[in-house]
Formats: sequence, structure tokens, C-alpha cells
Amino acid sequence: MEKLIEILEEINDGVDYETCTTLIDDHHLDSLAIISLVAEIEDEFDVQIPTVEIVPANFNSAKALWNLIVRLQEEG
Amino acid sequence: MTYTDVQFLFIFLPIVVVLYNLFPKKHRAKVLLLASYVFFGIISKKLIVYILLATGIIYGCGLWLSKLQNKRDNILKDAEKEQKKEIKEKYTKKQRRVVVLNALVLLGILIVLKYSAFICTNLNSLFDVLNMSFTIKVPHFMMPIGISFYTLQAISYIVDVYKGKIKADKNIGRLALFLSFFPQIIEGPICRYEETAEKLWEGNRTTYIGLTQGGQRILFGLMKKYIVVDRVNPFILEVFNNYGHHNGGMIAAAMVLYTFQLYMDFSGTMDIAIGVAEMFGVKMPENFKQPFFSKTVSEFWTRWHITLGAFFRDYIYYPISLTKKCKNLTSAGRKKLGNYYGPMLASTIALFSVWLCNGIWHGSDWNYIFFGLYHFTIIFIGRMIEPPVKWINKKLKINSEAFWYKFLQIIRTIILVFIGELFFRANGLKAGLEMFWKMITNFSLKPIINKTILDYGVDKQDFIIMGVVLVVIVIISLLKEKGINVREAIAKRNIVLRWSIYYLLILSIIIFGCYGIGVTPLDPMYANF
Repeated sequence: MEKLIEILEEINDGVDYETCTTLIDDHHLDSLAIISLVAEIEDEFDVQIPTVEIVPANFNSAKALWNLIVRLQEEG
Repeated sequence: MTYTDVQFLFIFLPIVVVLYNLFPKKHRAKVLLLASYVFFGIISKKLIVYILLATGIIYGCGLWLSKLQNKRDNILKDAEKEQKKEIKEKYTKKQRRVVVLNALVLLGILIVLKYSAFICTNLNSLFDVLNMSFTIKVPHFMMPIGISFYTLQAISYIVDVYKGKIKADKNIGRLALFLSFFPQIIEGPICRYEETAEKLWEGNRTTYIGLTQGGQRILFGLMKKYIVVDRVNPFILEVFNNYGHHNGGMIAAAMVLYTFQLYMDFSGTMDIAIGVAEMFGVKMPENFKQPFFSKTVSEFWTRWHITLGAFFRDYIYYPISLTKKCKNLTSAGRKKLGNYYGPMLASTIALFSVWLCNGIWHGSDWNYIFFGLYHFTIIFIGRMIEPPVKWINKKLKINSEAFWYKFLQIIRTIILVFIGELFFRANGLKAGLEMFWKMITNFSLKPIINKTILDYGVDKQDFIIMGVVLVVIVIISLLKEKGINVREAIAKRNIVLRWSIYYLLILSIIIFGCYGIGVTPLDPMYANF
């Protein structure tokens, strides 16, 4: 989780990722940031994020994103 | 028959609501399906065959995909670990062929019906330029209403089945209703299968809340349509059809009023569509979220025609920008250019594809393609200059969170949107460019100062009425921006105040609406796309 927050801060450092639950809804992460984020997560956590998983529910908070990563790691 | 016609509002809709509720729950969805086909048959006659064909195609392809997925899963159960990857790839390839075949047939029909005249005309022009004595006969096909909308819904269904997001539907009736539900068939919203299909097929009884809140929403849509859309139309027709006779000031006024008209027409139709769906217990996705409060053009398109933007985002933007090649580009770019500019190349390829498709989707003429590429350029420039702008703001100690800064951003966005809509409405690209040029080189406020602007079918009283509606819309939009649900707030008030508001809405449509002899109602504008 700490590593994920580090990645998010590298992409956009003006957000409190511990508490924010509207990263997509409030435009903190735009489509350009998502591409960067997906590439970084895939490299760092050795997972493949399918496009169907790129939905606000999975990207609106660091916690939701972390849950997605854990789930994808478990699914192999 | 359109959603604002008396026949729809006072005959078709009430009959469907009554019949729907008279039938037992298990048959209600069939009533909706029959009503949808009757509605489609009335407006498109024998062209109904195209939507039946699309339904059959996605039904068959969906089951085909499902069969392949089941076969794959059965083989995977007994496969060794090292074989699994190979099996998955083999079946992904097979499934992909089905998806491509499905898209080729659905898009092929759309291209032939909607774009063949445009393609042939341009090919003939090309032959002419190349001095080739060869011409293709330009075909003219009748196009069923709503084909651009239901084709996207059909494609989204198949792609979602392929990606495992949803299961293929074995019930052709449910699939047919998902594609043809009558309130959405003319102009959308473009729904996803998981958003509406199940709920539509449940056949829940109409509730008091559904009926009254749906009714409110319909009234709100009718207010936009009857008071504004048809009222302003003579002026827009005059200026866009005879722009050579008008100066830049008049063209600018027509550009602003057209954007206002388009918003009122399209969002008004969405209000009616969503309101009608609510009467049958179905919540359709919103298509507008106060777009004129956007601070960038990019944000504007997440608030205007939301379901189309979401379709392009989910089925074009991410699938392209997250292909293996684009991911490699992003990884390499990030190492050399950092986090912001690193993914720019992959994103720009995807963005260009999105806006080219957006332009083409809207219509078969060069001005629509220009409209798409105009937005691509604006958004691309916006992205490129974002870091230097932030740097300048920091150096000059400008607070980008200040009200005045956001206000200026909103005004800038609105102006850029106006210009895009000028090309969108112009009678061809040449006309659009000439109008834009005139607006720059021949701008004058004389028509407003000497009041000649009032000589083209929209008089002072009309402007006052439209101004009042605009104020009402702005107030409601501001409340929504603050997170206040206006309809729920009204519903909580006492019966006297509540019904006073309803009556006020009804009376305003009766008194200030444009209808009757001498008024040619404008067909739903997005139905032509």
C-alpha cells in the first residue's frame, strides 16, 4: 500500500491519498494519469490490469486500487 | 412521432403505462418490448428490420462466445499448469474473431447506410482531381432512426461478453428490449447491458414516486424543448443558411444561440427519456452533468453526452492506449520524459482515434471530422501546456484554486466549445470556415446596438423568455453542482408548494411554449446523428 501511494504521489502529488475517495470523480486522476498509473502498477506489482477493470470503482481511492492489485495477484 | 409530440405524450405513453401495469409481472417486459417495436415501427416503418437484424446478430455472437468460453474453461480444468497459457491464448484468438466479425457486420451496415454517399462523393471528387473519367453512382439509403446509438450498444454488449464482464444472454427478448427500449431509441442515452437489461426485464410495477418524479423530469424536458428550442430556431436557420448576408456579430450570436439550443434540445430529450424510463422503474444513466461549469474542454466531454464519451473511453481510448505496443511506448517514454510527458505519445494515439471516431460518428461530412479533430487539437494542446502553465502560476504566485481563476477557465472553455459547435452546425466545412473567418474579420456589435438582431424571427419578448429559462437552468445547475438534488428537495416540500411548482411548469409550457399553426417543430437534433 505504501508503495502504491508513493506511485500515486509521483503522478499527482497534490492529493491526500489516505483519505480521498473521489480520485476519478473529482478529476484528480485523468485519462493520461491512468495510463501512467497502469504502466507503473503493472511493472511494480507484476500484474496485468485488463481494460474492464479500469472503472471509477477501482480507481477512486488508493484503497480500492490496492484491493484490485491484491485481487489480480491472487488470480495470477 | 417524437417524445415531445402530443401523440406520444397523451396517447402512446399513457396507453403503454396502463397496459404495462394491467399485465402480470412476468408479461410486463413483453409489453415494453412490443411497445418499443410499435414505436420504432411508427417512426422507421420497414427499417425496423435493421434493429431486428442487429438483435439477432448479437444474440448469436453472444451465445457463440459463451460456448467458446465454456469449452475453454472445461479444457482448462484438466490442463497442466504450463499448458494453460497456451489454451487461454488459443481461445482468446477464437473469441476475438467472433468479436471482429460481429463488429464488421454491425459497423458495415452503419457505414453502408450512413457513410456510403459521403465516401462515393469524395471518391468522385478525387477521380475528378486526378482527371480520371470515372464516376461512382452515389447511393442514397434510408437510415433507421437511432442506428448510431443502438449499434454502439450492440457492440458494447458483445465486447463485454468477450471480456467476461457480463454473461451472454440466452433470453433474446431481454436482449431485444435492451437494444430497442423506446425512450432511448432516438437519441440514447447509450446504455450498457448491465445498467438496464435486467431491470427492464424485471417488469416492476409503476410506483407513485416513479410516476411523479418521472413526470417532473418529462415536464422539465418539455419546458426546454417547447420554450427554447423551437423559439430560437428561425434565427439560427436564417444565419446559418444565409451567413453571407450577415456580419461577424450576427454569426457569433447564432453560434452562441445554437449551442444553447443544442443543449436544451439534447438535454431536454434526455430528461424525457430518463423520466419515461423512471415510470417503468428503470434508472437510465445520465447524459449531462452541468457541462458549462467545466474548466477544460476535456472535462466538458466528461459532462456532455457522457454515455458517448464513456463508450469511446472504454472501447477505444483504453483498449488502444493499453495495448502491448502502447504500454511499451509509455514505459520507454516515462523513463526518458518522466511521469507526465512519458505516457503522452500512447495517449495521443488513442486520443486521436477517439476524436476521429467521435467526429465521424456525428455525421458523414467534413465539418464533423473537423469538429472531432478540433477537439483533439484543443485537448492535446491543453495537455502539453499544463506543466508550463503550472510552473508560471507558481512563479507568479497565482492561486489556481481561486474563484476568479476557475471562472476564467470556465469562460475560456465555453468559448472553445462555442467555436466547435459553430463548425458542428455549419452547412459543410467550407461554410464553417467562412463563418469563423467572418467572425474574426468582420465582427461588429451593430446588430445588437441597432436591434436588427430582432428582425429574424426572434423578437425582444422571445429573448426575455429565453433569458428567464436560462436563469432557471443556471440556478438548477448551480444547486446540482453543490450536490443538491432539486427533484428530491421539491418532493420533500408540502403538497401546496410542490403542486404550485408543477402547475407553474405546465402553465409556462402552455403559455410560453412554441407550438400550433405557423410553428414548425424541430425534430430531435441528435436523432440525425
